[in-house]
Amino acid sequence: MVQDEKRDFAKLEARIAQIKNRKQKVEKLIELGKFYFLNEKYDEAIEKLKEASKIDEKNAEIYYNLGVVYESKNLPDDASQMYTRALELNPGHQLASKHLEKIVGK
Amino acid sequence: MIQCVVLGLGIFGASVARALAEKGCEVLAIDEDEEKVKEISDVVTQAVQADATDEKVLRALGVDKMDAAIVSTGEDMEASILITLLMKELGIKTIVAKAISPSHGTVLRKVGATRVVFPERDTGVRLAESLAAPDILEHISLSPEYSILEVRAPKSFIGSTLREIDVRAKHGVDIIAIKKKLPYLTDAGESDFKEEILITPNADEEIADGDILVVLGTNRKIDKLRSL
Repeated sequence: MVQDEKRDFAKLEARIAQIKNRKQKVEKLIELGKFYFLNEKYDEAIEKLKEASKIDEKNAEIYYNLGVVYESKNLPDDASQMYTRALELNPGHQLASKHLEKIVGK
Repeated sequence: MIQCVVLGLGIFGASVARALAEKGCEVLAIDEDEEKVKEISDVVTQAVQADATDEKVLRALGVDKMDAAIVSTGEDMEASILITLLMKELGIKTIVAKAISPSHGTVLRKVGATRVVFPERDTGVRLAESLAAPDILEHISLSPEYSILEVRAPKSFIGSTLREIDVRAKHGVDIIAIKKKLPYLTDAGESDFKEEILITPNADEEIADGDILVVLGTNRKIDKLRSL
């Protein structure tokens, strides 16, 4: 009985560590994406942010950042898709909505 | 600063009135619809609910002292013609009228409009141009041969300075300005960018990914540059 409980506890801890790692990895990739964006290395920024979206596909922040990078590259259609996705995940994202309005028109 | 009267506060008229007010002009906005007048009253100098075809009302509002009139009641052709005529009779020098068809425009010119605009036609043409040539962001035709164009920087230019590209010698055009996007982080740590325009850029200016070039030259040479 005690042995079973110990095993469950170990499983839970492993799962928490896994989630933590995943979250940390996504945060790191977003930071890297921002870093490349600030240095006008747009293609590298897109690569990192796309990698992040593969791990966490429901993170509005990733799509907002992708939108800004695409817009900076003068790719309004791609940018608008990303802002739309960011707003689907977080309807209160003010910057995403400001940028989307600028591209699509109010 | 000039004083303008905007007659008719639909989407077009209200946009003109707002933009004029933002540029510091004194704006008198008139419409028969109370709601429309209310919506714009905080932005313009004075917003009045009135019949813009009534000369007495217009005189009482001081319309005859205005420098320019924008007649934006296009959908109601009869009203727009009558108001344009009234503006002419009140002695307003610049009368801009919105037309919805070529024949409407002809009549507006005949009754005193100094400039007739066709927002729907012009928007349609611009939309078609932008769809046919997505790399052209703005096109100003200077003559049948010469144009000023806003184009996305060709990939082969990215990372090079204007001196290295030497567009005048190599491509026969001039880059008269560069529109740049400057990435930054907001106070909350969010990515964003500011737009900056460099007029007559320095030869050492480097072209970056996402730059928009404002190019002056013959249409033929600009087309060649676009195909790079």
